[in-house]
Amino acid sequence: MVAVGILPKDIAIYAVPVVTLMLGLLIGYLAQRSGYCSIGGFRDFYLFRHTRLLSGYITLILASFVGYLFFWFITPAAMDGFFWANTNGLFTAIPGAPGGLSPAAYFLFAIIPGFFIGLICVYLGGCPIRQTVMASEGNYKAAWFFVGMAIGSIIFAAWVSGAVVVLMKSIGFGV
Amino acid sequence: MSDKSGSEHTGQSHRDWMRHPAFLGALIGILAAFTQALLISAGGPVAYGFCVACHTRDLVNGLTNIVAGTHLALAPISANAVLPVMSIVGVLIGGYVAAKKSKEHKIRKGTNLEYAIYFLAGVIVLQLAMIFGGCPYRAALRTGYGDLSALVFIISMAAGVIAGAYIMLKWAEREEA
Repeated sequence: MVAVGILPKDIAIYAVPVVTLMLGLLIGYLAQRSGYCSIGGFRDFYLFRHTRLLSGYITLILASFVGYLFFWFITPAAMDGFFWANTNGLFTAIPGAPGGLSPAAYFLFAIIPGFFIGLICVYLGGCPIRQTVMASEGNYKAAWFFVGMAIGSIIFAAWVSGAVVVLMKSIGFGV
Repeated sequence: MSDKSGSEHTGQSHRDWMRHPAFLGALIGILAAFTQALLISAGGPVAYGFCVACHTRDLVNGLTNIVAGTHLALAPISANAVLPVMSIVGVLIGGYVAAKKSKEHKIRKGTNLEYAIYFLAGVIVLQLAMIFGGCPYRAALRTGYGDLSALVFIISMAAGVIAGAYIMLKWAEREEA
């Protein structure tokens, strides 16, 4: 099924960069003002029992559910497969990761990267959005993190994506 | 930190709610859903309204494809649109404007070793996020969309944070002793 949004496709393809730029400006501005950070939320709660940052991340999860639910009522054709666990199976992943593997592979893709992203980012002092905002505040270390993500994008598409699929298939996670 | 900046902004207390992370969390959640309702005809995937790692990937690979004529993979929404998603450009500009306005913009330099570590960490975190199919923010959106594997990611990430914080705590104690 092809999802249909409010804007028809020939307009949406022009709206994509404009709308996402405006959304990004708003998020960047408020993230700088609030020190928004997902990793920092779990860290501060674990170390100091501070809930300020964690509340931001929990609210994001809840608000996105409310938002998707709301637009599922208003524009059901745009909310393809909502509520995912109900329409696609309990632990089926939403597409985005390298394709063509068994459901068990995507379960591993949630557990292992999740743990190491948490481990690495708490050492660096912030999640990807916090690093990006700190880079815009003039922090050179965070700017190098962002450059790493940019170069990493090309590395992933060129080599890692294919290698991960080959590796997973060779150890029995093919379809 | 919040106490210090709070006193700097006396007279603006009516806007303090804007500076609470929960306000931004609610805003991103609702607007990510709205963005999908608005733009999904351009292409998927779903629950893709905001993601630092994926949108950086789309931006870099999309522009590289346009400039260098390569065929690096990116999300359908960015591949079909005239330009890839621009949210990360927005975050950088928005963060810069906010920092300048509040006089929090300050050049903070590190050592070359630190730059190398942060660069390498950026590369690795991007690989890990792409293997999962999202950064912590898209994981939250995917959970809100009903993808429970993303909730597994969040729980695992929290475990990683606790493990990392515990190790750093032990390091700090050893240095004191």
